[in-house]
Amino acid sequence: MNFILGFYTGIVNGLREVWAHKFRSFLSMIGIILGVAALVAMVGVVQGMIQNMRIYFENAGGITRIFVEDMEPPVEQQPFAHLSPGRTYNDALAIGAGSTFIETVAPQLNIGWRRIQYGREREHAPLRGVGPERLSTMNQGIDEGRWFGDLDMEQASLVTVLGGHVVRDLFEEGESPVGQKVKIQGKMFTIVGTLEYLGTDEDRRRNPYYWQNRVVYIPLTTAMKRFNGDEKINELNIFIQDVSVMQDAIAQVENILLQTHRGIRDFQVRTMEEQLAEFKKLERSFTLALGGVAGISLLVGGLGIMNVMLAVINERIREIGVRKAVGARGYDIFIQFVAEAVVISVLGGIIGMIVSVGLVHLLKSVVTSDEFRIVLSPDAMVAGFFFSVTIGVAAGVYPALKAASLNVIDALRYE
Amino acid sequence: MAVFELQDVHKTYKMGSETVRALDGVGLAIEPGDFAAILGPSGSGKSTLMHVLGFMDRPSSGQIWFEGKEVSRISRDRQAWYRANRIGFVFQTFNLLPRLSVVDNVLLPVSYSREKMPDKRERAMSALERVGMAHRADHVPNQLSGGERQRVSIARALINKPSIILADEPTGALDSKNVEKILALFEELVDEGQTFVMVTHDNEVAAHTRRIVRMRDGQIEEDLRR
Ligand SMILES: Nc1ncnc2c1ncn2[C@@H]1O[C@H](COP(=O)(O)OP(=O)(O)OP(=O)(O)O)[C@@H](O)[C@H]1O
Ligand SMILES: [Mg+2]
Repeated sequence: MNFILGFYTGIVNGLREVWAHKFRSFLSMIGIILGVAALVAMVGVVQGMIQNMRIYFENAGGITRIFVEDMEPPVEQQPFAHLSPGRTYNDALAIGAGSTFIETVAPQLNIGWRRIQYGREREHAPLRGVGPERLSTMNQGIDEGRWFGDLDMEQASLVTVLGGHVVRDLFEEGESPVGQKVKIQGKMFTIVGTLEYLGTDEDRRRNPYYWQNRVVYIPLTTAMKRFNGDEKINELNIFIQDVSVMQDAIAQVENILLQTHRGIRDFQVRTMEEQLAEFKKLERSFTLALGGVAGISLLVGGLGIMNVMLAVINERIREIGVRKAVGARGYDIFIQFVAEAVVISVLGGIIGMIVSVGLVHLLKSVVTSDEFRIVLSPDAMVAGFFFSVTIGVAAGVYPALKAASLNVIDALRYE
Repeated sequence: MAVFELQDVHKTYKMGSETVRALDGVGLAIEPGDFAAILGPSGSGKSTLMHVLGFMDRPSSGQIWFEGKEVSRISRDRQAWYRANRIGFVFQTFNLLPRLSVVDNVLLPVSYSREKMPDKRERAMSALERVGMAHRADHVPNQLSGGERQRVSIARALINKPSIILADEPTGALDSKNVEKILALFEELVDEGQTFVMVTHDNEVAAHTRRIVRMRDGQIEEDLRR
């Protein structure tokens, strides 16, 4: 009760002191204000990066995706390595038929950038040959029309599905692309469907899905037969049922591929785990760096408060003497000065939160690009506030102890 | 029962190899209703004695009874309690806090007294009334003359109804007209039964009191009642 009362009086006195010395109080708050603002801004930057990486990671199929890549065969197999057909459409069919742990097999042939022409409008887009199953592995739905079916695959039809960005570029608002024809590398393709536009912003730097919206899809068989003239594919993604069967699934896929590749180990099955580990490592080191820098800036803020408090106490030795002479205990003086530190750091923390909002907006408008996004994190604001208050109070303790231990008579004599 | 009783009180300061005997065997009794002046040359130990009586300092040796209790070795916090509740101290330089209003200055000992006082504002106002300063309650000390400030500091000394008021050269910083007024106020307080001890250099001031204690070299040279 006594403690609360003493503290309350201290807070009131503290506010009065802060108000009476606005400029000095502001100076002592600057460290805390900048500390909080820096912390929030840095958390914003790092969270933005992490968010981007997460989107990238999820776009890449998440943790249940495994994929087959080409590999140099071992030395002893090299003389007859040509016996292997390499990664082909057949691999995908064999895995689909032979494996029990698998949800989806998605073979793909990336043709590269091609010109897409509709009347007088042209557009460059990455062209990809994919199967009917590919749609279920995307984070994207059909906007209009349909996706490829088995018949398109069988007949290697000249049909295409356009990404949202391509649609916006080639067609007028309100004009339906479905049923229209576009020319790709001299061939006329019928548009059978369009994909949803992902994200909201059309600016490349603000929309993490920008590149995905630019893709143009054709059936895999069309890509193989009409563009490349063989059965080879250059991406083989396999989605397993569950992470728990990962090892078994990998073993199965390897067995099947050894068969189709005639025993030649010119492939390797890889998982997203390496990427995930990399991602986690990056996240951790960012967090540590962030914590370090923010901690140091807040520490500097705390030292600022301590410095000003020490100067203030020197100015107020007589006041301390008078208060003690009329009955203040060391404890009362201690509480008074700690309460002032609390007032200064709480005010500094609040101003810091306000400044941080401005700082984050400023950074956003100045440095945003597609790898560098900034988010305003309320958690970071609250954490920064409490951290700064703790530091501020801790910084006030030493000066307050010094004030509390002053001798009455010496303090009264002090000029 | 005496307000204060001192027996063989010493206070020594060590300055390097030298020892200063600020109090060198002081024996003294202050009875309720006493109005005493402490006189003596500079450096004779008057202020030191006042500090010891005012619970701001502790003697190096000897005993002090305050209202029958031995208090020469009590803790600092206990000393603070006595300063807040039992002693009124008046300084030569007033020692008011410049940023507090007159009434808040008067209330300062109450805020540290740790005793319940529901009517503290009325008490502060009546203390200000007593010294003729109630009309300036909301001013700050800088707006007052020296004499007025000293009145406020006397009101502050009175607020907790102390057993004794100790004043160290209370008229030292005042002009003769104000000295008269302050002395008249002291006499009134004494007439009302207030025990009062003050240090002064001025024989005319001392002439107003009823007891004169002369000090020299940390000792009491003479103690005369009238
Ligand atoms: N903190 C201290 N350290 C060392 N010596 C001290 C201290 N305080 C007082 N003294 C010494 O003790 C002696 C008594 O001092 P005190 O202040 O009591 O004198 P005083 O009678 O009040 O003098 P004045 O009339 O000048 O005020 C002096 O010699 C002084 O120098
Ligand atoms: Mg003196």
